[in-house]
Amino acid sequence: MLSKQKIDWAIYAAFVILIMLAPLAMDTFWLNRVAKYLVYGMLGTAVALSWGYAGILNLGQGLFFGAGAYMLAMSLKLASTTSLQQGSDKPVPDFMLWNAEPGAPTELCCITKASFLWLPFQSQWFGVAMGLILPVLLATVLGTIVFRKRIAGVFVSIITLALVLLVRLVVIDSQPVTNGFNGLTDLGWFNVFGLEFDPYVTATYYLVAVSLSLVLVGVRLLVETRAGIVLQAVRDDQNRARYLGFDVPAYQTFFFAVSAAIAGVAGMLYVIVSEFASPTFMDLSFSITMVVWAAVGGRSSVLGACIGAILINVISATVSETEGFAEAWKAIIGLIFVLVVLYLPRGLAGLAHDFVDRFVARKSSPSGQTIGVTGASSQAAE
Amino acid sequence: MTSLVALTIDGLGVDFEGFKAVNQVSMTVDDGELRVLLGANGAGKTTLMDLISGKTRSTEGRVFVHDTEITNWEEHKIARAGIGRKFQIPSVFKELTVRRNLEVASCKNPGVFANLGFGFSAKENVDEVLELIGLTEEANQVAAYLSHGQTQWLELGLLITQNPKIILLDEPTAGMTQAETHKTSQIVNNLKGRHTIVVVEHDMAFVREIAERITVLHLGQVLAEGNVEEIETNPKVREAYLGSKGIS
Repeated sequence: MLSKQKIDWAIYAAFVILIMLAPLAMDTFWLNRVAKYLVYGMLGTAVALSWGYAGILNLGQGLFFGAGAYMLAMSLKLASTTSLQQGSDKPVPDFMLWNAEPGAPTELCCITKASFLWLPFQSQWFGVAMGLILPVLLATVLGTIVFRKRIAGVFVSIITLALVLLVRLVVIDSQPVTNGFNGLTDLGWFNVFGLEFDPYVTATYYLVAVSLSLVLVGVRLLVETRAGIVLQAVRDDQNRARYLGFDVPAYQTFFFAVSAAIAGVAGMLYVIVSEFASPTFMDLSFSITMVVWAAVGGRSSVLGACIGAILINVISATVSETEGFAEAWKAIIGLIFVLVVLYLPRGLAGLAHDFVDRFVARKSSPSGQTIGVTGASSQAAE
Repeated sequence: MTSLVALTIDGLGVDFEGFKAVNQVSMTVDDGELRVLLGANGAGKTTLMDLISGKTRSTEGRVFVHDTEITNWEEHKIARAGIGRKFQIPSVFKELTVRRNLEVASCKNPGVFANLGFGFSAKENVDEVLELIGLTEEANQVAAYLSHGQTQWLELGLLITQNPKIILLDEPTAGMTQAETHKTSQIVNNLKGRHTIVVVEHDMAFVREIAERITVLHLGQVLAEGNVEEIETNPKVREAYLGSKGIS
């Protein structure tokens, strides 16, 4: 048991070292690309926490990702040079001029109807704080309502799915404040006490890599706390947990909010790396793609889901750029997904776990008794 | 009776849109007593348990644990007030190991923030319960892999670890073989005196092995109360539940 856990942590360490050394082998173009994939990996982890550990299949994780992204993008938009060149001494986003009523003053307070909402975002740290607070707030309110009402299973999925589409529609519809379909582009760089995070420098890559490492270790520790274990008990049988005296909705809401917070952080990092925020973040297909990443990587593995996301994106990038596959790459990704669901219900992480189990079993007892137990655990997880 | 009363039910009832599944039931169960609830299908046994444990909200009457009124509290608060319940369909945490199951039950804090630390403190207690329910060898197995009988015992183990004052058991031997039923009666007998226990059961062999006092429910009301002999010979009970042939 103990040595298995050690192997587990060794794999985490290996992953962290790998992503820390990656810049040695890459040009800036690929560095920026991989930074994006690491952000996707963080989203995979967020999905694994809510789906694999809490049993909540959230089909609207994009809502929290988008919320985080837009909050920081608003601040960075105001920090861009074009916003300072709109004929006012204070920054004003260029699109607001295009949307303004004739004769409206070129001031953030009143250039369009709701433009005053942007005022506090002149501080970048307000944007960062909101990028964390807004997803957590949304998740807490949503979770409290849904879980206190004892809505479970597919109904939660449908509610989250509907909600992300609703918010997407509102964002597109609020053109004067959000620039609608076009999203927020032409952003300034994220700036920490004078250090500017140009998306094509190594520092930005490390910002993402370090954040991801912290999230991975943090979540892994979190699911091993008593609360994390009670959460898994809740996933297996809500009622049993309730009659043992646990406040079930509190557990579900808490971990739902943590998952939302991670998605919010991922959204902010994505904005820093890619220099835009767009309503496509809240497309249904994107939220479902996240679920696919987690399924392929292994939804009940924090690191597995992360690696699943990175792997799928690296494969689709290479395959889609290989001549002859340019048209077929989506089918190839689809095929991989079908194969994994059919033959590896616990994803790649499940496969890795079985290898570790067999390895540990062979070392500790040649009688094969432990192997029987291993088989039991893999069957049970299905 | 000199002993203290652990569970008091006072005029309890529920009205399902005109149908009274439980109607004006009053009974008291003493500290450390083992009480069996008998009754035909639809007599209201399980509904009575639902009302006590908070699964169903009552429309009349009150429930007390010692001196605390718990009528219509939320389920987890009733559980914390000292009532543990085993369900008819065995429910355990299937993807956790047997030991983990018991550790979860041993956790004393109901809320999420108090549990953001590592490790459960009740190792000896857990080992003791594993011994009692006979699952020591299966401790590191995932619960989904247990047999039906073992799953039932594990759920009993969850209750023992939770250590409530009052334990409600809904058909603890449902679907068990004779040998398994016998072992279950040993576990339940072992709990006598330490806990106050209320059991719903049909299996008369099992009832004879464990019963002290029996309460018979019929059509949502208390029909009779007494020891095994008194109940077996009570003409009203014979007519209502056991049929003219008596207890076989």
